[in-house]
Amino acid sequence: MSLPRHLFTPAFRHQHLGRSFAAIVGIMVFIASFAMAAEAILLTASYLWGQTMETRITVEIPAVGDESSMPQAERVKQATSVLRALPGVGLVMPLSDDEVERLLQPWFNNPDLLKALPLPTLIDIERKSGATLSATQIQAALKNVVSDARVDDHGAWTQDIWRLVRGLILLGGLTIALTAVTLIITVSLICRAVMAAEHETISLLHLLGAEDKDIARHFQMQAKCIARNAATLGFLIALAVTAALLFSTRHSADFSALQWNHWLGLSMTSLLIPISATFIAAITARISVMRLIKSFP
Amino acid sequence: MLLSFEKVSLTYAPKHKILDEVSFTLPEGGFCFLTGTSGAGKSSLLRLIYQSDRPTGGQITLFGEPLTNKGDKKCAELRRKIGIVFQDFRLIPHLTAWENAALPLRLTDAGEDYIQRHTKELLEWVGIGDRMNALPTELSGGEQQRVAIARAVVTRPRLLLADEPTGNVDEDTALKLFHLFDELNKLGTAVILATHQSQMVEKFHKPALRLQNGRLASSKSFAA
Repeated sequence: MSLPRHLFTPAFRHQHLGRSFAAIVGIMVFIASFAMAAEAILLTASYLWGQTMETRITVEIPAVGDESSMPQAERVKQATSVLRALPGVGLVMPLSDDEVERLLQPWFNNPDLLKALPLPTLIDIERKSGATLSATQIQAALKNVVSDARVDDHGAWTQDIWRLVRGLILLGGLTIALTAVTLIITVSLICRAVMAAEHETISLLHLLGAEDKDIARHFQMQAKCIARNAATLGFLIALAVTAALLFSTRHSADFSALQWNHWLGLSMTSLLIPISATFIAAITARISVMRLIKSFP
Repeated sequence: MLLSFEKVSLTYAPKHKILDEVSFTLPEGGFCFLTGTSGAGKSSLLRLIYQSDRPTGGQITLFGEPLTNKGDKKCAELRRKIGIVFQDFRLIPHLTAWENAALPLRLTDAGEDYIQRHTKELLEWVGIGDRMNALPTELSGGEQQRVAIARAVVTRPRLLLADEPTGNVDEDTALKLFHLFDELNKLGTAVILATHQSQMVEKFHKPALRLQNGRLASSKSFAA
């Protein structure tokens, strides 16, 4: 069965229904693709970043306040020895003064002030894979050597970041779900309008011996064609906007952890949106037509 | 028997009887005029045959099967065996004469080659071979009705129903169209032609059923 391709074209042109249909699909795909891309980037970047941070612990050895105390270099040396002897510690790296100054630089307008201040020494520790060494255990081990040392476990505050990321992902998922629901409702309403405009043709097709499923299939084919083109356009615009945003924020946001295969994966994941939108629009059109057509003579 | 009506009634409201116990039969390959004034129930009777309406009483048998409340698939199958010509042509305005005429074939399993060749031959036969690519709005009333006739018979139906097919054309064109229906009938298609033009009916010595206020007032025998 092959009804003429342009059988319902005037109905889609009626009061720009086809254009409205295409615009709705395009806009919904843009929003959903954008949300999906943002979610995927956030998730991948957080995961990669979290993988690095969760194994790290920083020990801060405050600068000595008076000359009678042990020299700072000796305090750091002893602390480093204790830390290296601890089970579960993989790597112990004391940061140089220059590195500490670089870390503090953003909070100080005057670089000379940094030179004048008694800066602490930071020791970066990397836990061995699977090790359960906690900040408290390190603090206890250092107590006899450097009693005023402060231990900061990054794993603790990355948990808060993860909670925030999970919340944002949930919000993104909700946005995508809402756009899908909006798409279904809108496509259904537009189909009603198109069907009303093509009432005569559908009645005639019935009288000529067309079955409901034949008419619905043909209508679905035309709706799918419009939806596919609109979804592709919406997706490409979303992709371009995402790329432009990433490019413009490249100095403030660090996505260096993402490799080319991550970017490829993200693009492929986002590609699910226009494919799903086309599928949803086509199926909604078919179901709407099948339900409406029952009332036709 | 191709078609039989047995005490068929159609009522829209309790006191509004459209058809009242109408009985008649049409043999395979038969021709029958359906006459009567406007509102006599001619169109309603045809609608019962192509199942656009359901009788409220009596029994209709078509192609040897009683017309009951069939499902969409069965109803569509049955309609594909019937050709219908309407007074207002009912051509799809954005399809060409050829596309309109080919439409019923596209609802079957016919191949594209057959559709192309057969529709072309048929349009030539009804006399508009040179206007095949014209849109309905570019055709005269008579030409549009010829396209509608071609569409009605393109699948070689066993029964052709024509509801006031000459209602929107002049007398000369009407006569030509009546001859066309006669030719189709001679090729083996049974025809029921509803018309209020009694002078046309007189010219063709064919059986006729006359409806009056929903009842069969008189009938000329098929043997005549």
